[in-house]
Amino acid sequence: MKLLSRAGFAGLFICAAALFAACSESNTATETTVVVETTVSEVAYPVTAGGITLDAQPMRIVSLSPTHTEMLYAIGAGDQVVAVDEYSNFPAEAVALGTKLSGYEPNVESIAGYEPDLVVISYDPGNLVEQLNALDIPVYIGNGASSLEQAYEQIEQLGALTGHLDVAVQLTSQMQTDIDAAVAASSASATAMGEPITYFYELDNTYYTVTSNTFVGQIFKLFGLENIADGVEEGNDYPQLSSEVIVSKNPKMIFLADTKCCAQTPETVSVRDGWQKMDAVVNKNIVQLDDDIASRWGPRVVELVKSISDALALVAAGN
Amino acid sequence: MLRATDNFAPRAGTRVAYLSLVSFALLTIAVLVGTMIGPAGPQWWRVPIELANRLPLITVDSGVSPEEWNIVWQIRMPRVVLAVLVGAMLSVAGASYQGVFRNPLVDPYLLGVAAGAGLGATLVFTLRRSATENWLIDPLPLAAFVGGLVAVFATYMIGNTFSKARSSATLVLAGIAVTSLTTAVQTFVLQRNNDVVRQVYSWILGRLSSATWGDVRLILPYVVFSCGVLLMHRRLLDVLRVGDDEATALGMNIRRVRLTVVLAATLGTAAAVAVSGLIGFVGIIVPHTVRLIVGSSYRRVLPMSILCGAIFLVLADIPSRILADPAETPIGVVTAFFGAPFFLLLLRVRKNQA
Amino acid sequence: MSTLGFCDLSIAYDGVIAVNGFNDILHSGEWLCLIGPNGAGKSSVLRAAAGLVKYSGSVAIDQKEIPATSAKWRAQHIAFVPQSPLMPENMSVYEYVLLGRNPYIKHFASESIHDKQVIEKVLMRLDLTQFAKRMVGTLSGGERQRIVIARALAQEAPVLLLDEPTAALDIGHQQQALELVDDLRREHGLTVVSAMHDLTLAGLYADRLVLMHQGSCVASGDAQTVLRSETLAEFYGVSARVHHEADGTVVVIPQRANSN
Repeated sequence: MKLLSRAGFAGLFICAAALFAACSESNTATETTVVVETTVSEVAYPVTAGGITLDAQPMRIVSLSPTHTEMLYAIGAGDQVVAVDEYSNFPAEAVALGTKLSGYEPNVESIAGYEPDLVVISYDPGNLVEQLNALDIPVYIGNGASSLEQAYEQIEQLGALTGHLDVAVQLTSQMQTDIDAAVAASSASATAMGEPITYFYELDNTYYTVTSNTFVGQIFKLFGLENIADGVEEGNDYPQLSSEVIVSKNPKMIFLADTKCCAQTPETVSVRDGWQKMDAVVNKNIVQLDDDIASRWGPRVVELVKSISDALALVAAGN
Repeated sequence: MLRATDNFAPRAGTRVAYLSLVSFALLTIAVLVGTMIGPAGPQWWRVPIELANRLPLITVDSGVSPEEWNIVWQIRMPRVVLAVLVGAMLSVAGASYQGVFRNPLVDPYLLGVAAGAGLGATLVFTLRRSATENWLIDPLPLAAFVGGLVAVFATYMIGNTFSKARSSATLVLAGIAVTSLTTAVQTFVLQRNNDVVRQVYSWILGRLSSATWGDVRLILPYVVFSCGVLLMHRRLLDVLRVGDDEATALGMNIRRVRLTVVLAATLGTAAAVAVSGLIGFVGIIVPHTVRLIVGSSYRRVLPMSILCGAIFLVLADIPSRILADPAETPIGVVTAFFGAPFFLLLLRVRKNQA
Repeated sequence: MSTLGFCDLSIAYDGVIAVNGFNDILHSGEWLCLIGPNGAGKSSVLRAAAGLVKYSGSVAIDQKEIPATSAKWRAQHIAFVPQSPLMPENMSVYEYVLLGRNPYIKHFASESIHDKQVIEKVLMRLDLTQFAKRMVGTLSGGERQRIVIARALAQEAPVLLLDEPTAALDIGHQQQALELVDDLRREHGLTVVSAMHDLTLAGLYADRLVLMHQGSCVASGDAQTVLRSETLAEFYGVSARVHHEADGTVVVIPQRANSN
């Protein structure tokens, strides 16, 4: 009887698991491409960067962080990557690998199954580094950057570790140049308005937002934009604002970072109760951002900067 | 003339001995299976050969490379051993709580261990971003452990303040109050730090996937001590089955027994929770199933819960690591999947009995 | 064989006095029955002697006062049969009676050969041997009463306290239970104190009756002395006649208001 009930459980369980697998999210790859030269340069190993030392050039890299996947491909280490996590949806070559490791619930055995000589993560969900080190697998941890400088540092560290330091340095200086140019171009638009431009940055459709202390908040600060969420809740950099507060603060611009997760568009925003009379809605200054680009601190941050710059130009033109 | 001890005790004793032997054998098999199955590493049939090879005086070529063996020994083994420890601990703690509170629906998280540990873990996750990467000891299990103990301590204090009698019902109510309050605080903290929600959620679901030998060494003394103390009290839990009054009239100091059992069970549970998160249902499913097999006497239920709890969690960990390959399914989800049908079955069995 | 003495026993619940200075001495082998209306304090006296409620004054066995701190000592000398014992459904009769040996088994130890011998003797004496492996939940009311007495007997205590032992039994089982207690009393020299509602039965089996009212003893003596219709009318508020049988049995017969 016990055996039968165990078999019963197993059966029920398998059905449920199948259901579970069927309902998992699907990824969408974005269309934009970043073109970078791939050079294989002579680098002297062993190399120490980012807190770890590698004795030889890593040829079997596993990345569990979508941001760092983008960095690796951008600095020309794409051929050295053998597996990425389920959320690494850019660039297309990464998706083409067909691997779907998990960065949040990592299965160490599966990771080890790829025989990696370098694993790149953005956070340790618990003992992951210890477990990988027990298998003599070096782990590079690139915590969420809180500034552009940190982002550049991580790109260059990965460059050093993978043997593409020159490409990495080239990339970061290019990024810096592009960003500075975009900011400079818009400073004209920003000052033309007279008063500082306020904005609301929407993380999801329940009005979670970010303050200027966050990475993406700092990008906006470069343009002199003012975040309506600053100072609302001391100590909380990801507050949830109420609809009333947002409407009463009446930001001039709204940036939607929930276009992919929550299907928000300027149309859906404009039909929200009480939002119709807002400046941003009336003047149609609602900017759609790609969720992924807005949440990562890799090379595509330049695109984010350009989106903001373009949007500012429109605002200026509208006035 | 009937010889004393002829009729009643020995037959029961041999049946229990037989069952224990079978359970132990099953546990060994479960552990073996647990080490053989995984998403990577050596082929499953090579593992027992290599295990035999590692025994002293036996040399056999299994064809397992050092890297593959490393996966088995460094990643899989600690996980299986942790499953044994945590499964045994949660089961025996659940059974003990059921004995002390005379309520079959009680689990080891009753007096607030889970909520307290959850709050401790949440606080560490929110602090971790800034401060704790370079601490000497991992703050997470420590905070969970301390949080669990503090919550149960608070429950006891509240129970004592509001009722001189220190009855079991008062303690349960106090436990509910502490759990509610602690969960509310945790929710508030999460609300203000919602970038760690995912990590906290993941921790709460319970996992053995991050098991290391360090974790095993960390909780082994607590689990062994706790199980030992609880086993020593099994006859006393049987005396408690006739109620507080009658047990007192039979010469038992019920307050001391209750306190000792709760303390021991809480200590072990807090340790288990500290490294594996909140794995639910084990503390209820296993003792009840054990009762169906060996009857309701705690002298049999406690030791069998230890063995069967270990078997259950070791086996539950296998789908946890291969179902969503290459990701993990938190083991709390697996045990929950067993939980719901189990309760339905329990309802049906009881309906037939009544 | 032990004497039992109550000296100035007083019990209060939340400031309300339930028993007010109860005094009595039982010589060994005596059967005392406490009678009285609801709330008179009969159960409280028994529960105090069993160590279940706080009391002031003293309870002494063989002139030795029971220490408040040692539940074990008390359980070895006083066995208590409660009014509504909790019967765990899935416990075997053997295990249930084994509980009676708790005062003698070391805290963390198991029962010894001697303990097992005692249990088997008790089971045999009470005709429960064939029930040994049966679950308590499958027994009838009368059988359950027997196993509770068996458990009390297994305690090998010289004093036996019975709180309403016949409350849930039919007339046949009532007689069986009380006859059993009486037999055991003579065999083992037990000193028995019981609290009972049925006055005729109380008079029939007890050596002496104590009538309690509002926490105090208002009458004490044998059945003929205590069971008088005017006494009963005064303290129970009942209208009853008392009939004396030829063999000395006192029968209490309630009277209807318009009886003829």
